[in-house]
Amino acid sequence: MIGKALRADWLKIRGKGLWLLAFIAPTGLIAMQALNYGLRYDYLMNLYADDPWGELLKNIVLFVPISLFLGETLISSLLANIEHHMSSWKQLLALPVSRSAVFGAKFIIAVILLSFSCLLLSIGAVALGAALKFPLDSIPYGDILRIGFLPFAASMPMLSVSLWLCLSYKNQSLPVTFGVIIAIVSMFSMSMSEYLPINWPLFSYYGPQQELFVGAGLISGLLILLLGAQHFARKDVN
Amino acid sequence: MNDYIIETKQLSKRYKGRFAVSNLNLRITRGDIYGFLGPNGAGKTTTIRMLLGLIKPTKGSVHLFGQSLDKHKIEILRKVGSLVEYPSYYGHLTAVDNMEAIRRIIDVPRTKIAEVLEIVGLTKDARRSVKGYSLGMKQRLGIASALLGNPELLILDEPTNGLDPAGILEIRELIKEMPKQHGITVLISSHLLSEVEQMAGTVGIIRQGELVFQDTIENLRRKSEGSMSLAVSEPAAAVQQLLGQGKRAILSNHVVKLDNLSDEEVAGCVKLLVEQGHSIYRVEENRKSLEELFLHVTEGGARS
Repeated sequence: MIGKALRADWLKIRGKGLWLLAFIAPTGLIAMQALNYGLRYDYLMNLYADDPWGELLKNIVLFVPISLFLGETLISSLLANIEHHMSSWKQLLALPVSRSAVFGAKFIIAVILLSFSCLLLSIGAVALGAALKFPLDSIPYGDILRIGFLPFAASMPMLSVSLWLCLSYKNQSLPVTFGVIIAIVSMFSMSMSEYLPINWPLFSYYGPQQELFVGAGLISGLLILLLGAQHFARKDVN
Repeated sequence: MNDYIIETKQLSKRYKGRFAVSNLNLRITRGDIYGFLGPNGAGKTTTIRMLLGLIKPTKGSVHLFGQSLDKHKIEILRKVGSLVEYPSYYGHLTAVDNMEAIRRIIDVPRTKIAEVLEIVGLTKDARRSVKGYSLGMKQRLGIASALLGNPELLILDEPTNGLDPAGILEIRELIKEMPKQHGITVLISSHLLSEVEQMAGTVGIIRQGELVFQDTIENLRRKSEGSMSLAVSEPAAAVQQLLGQGKRAILSNHVVKLDNLSDEEVAGCVKLLVEQGHSIYRVEENRKSLEELFLHVTEGGARS
């Protein structure tokens, strides 16, 4: 059943700027580093001579959490708006499809879009490294894949919360404000406890015990998703 | 087992302490067109949302096709097509893609899309994006979506909203054909009796959340039967003589008024007056229009 809802959603996100957003975010991050390296190439190459790839990835990953939080918020809101805009809920939910399937399909669409962004970020990192004439025989493919996907996994709770709020309220200002605040705070919260979920994305890359942060993110994300789906299945549709 | 397609028992919904719908017992038989009438804000849409499982009743139950909506929701909704209030659509998609988005969930052959768009007369505009449609076209698209799944029951909430007279006529003809050609049962809500009376077999009238009338349209018509007024040369005397014969005559505005008489009784009264030497100028029937009756019922007069 979730497959059917997913196929319908796949059609509905066409022309709504969701793919564009998923494309622009990682491209922007890479462009920022291109500028950083372009402006002070000699200085940075000298400074990072021991491990140019590793240092580039560290520079990129600093901005991954804020991008993920913002991306998760915006994608949730855009997805929800497709249905809120013309009150399509009353039509969609009167079809023979379970509400949890509808909710689950939206979540999967968001995961697909954000995974696309993560993959694009990794590809962009390789391309940038190559353009900066980093040694091509020592590309750390594992770490390159991890810069996007590990923080994404660790930020799942945010996606679940944001999707839940966006789908539940027609007025999107509350969930979007919430998401933006979280994203900004995440830039300055590294000094605080690692138990704070907004710190998980960065710790999931830096470690130690990365797998703990990834696991915590996935499990709590799933739990919140189930809670959200439960609530969504019971709520009145007006 | 009865043959009610829709049956609600004591259906109620409370919003913030106020009952929007209370103790509604709807009964709709197979193959019927049921006109669900009431002024704006009477609880029609709330009821319809409960019939579709969009909102949960505070109290009472809904049975569709003899099954509890609570327990067999998906199975039941597979047989129901609906249009609730103003149309829902995805403005950035074309009519065909709007239909496709629904088709992917309900699993009917793709050819069905062209078929229903043809039925509602949107074939020509099928490839345009829906945000450029007029309200009437959007409404037709909504009806097309309701028909897409070959429903056995159509629930249409004010389907002729925003249509021009020609469109209203077309939709009315379309709805009339549903039971005859496809055996579809139709529930159609409206705040205008005139819109429903030409197609409905049964009407239910709701006022402030309560069902105040539920019967066949013939019985509603019968209630609307009016009075006879006789203009005669000496009305006061005529009334006295009629009263003397046990007829319930009253004098109003120099005219003799008689309520609820059969044809024979009217003839008898006229004969009597002629024999008593009255000149009879006019015999008129004043029919209460259904619309007046509807207003009477919905404004809190008679209950039945």
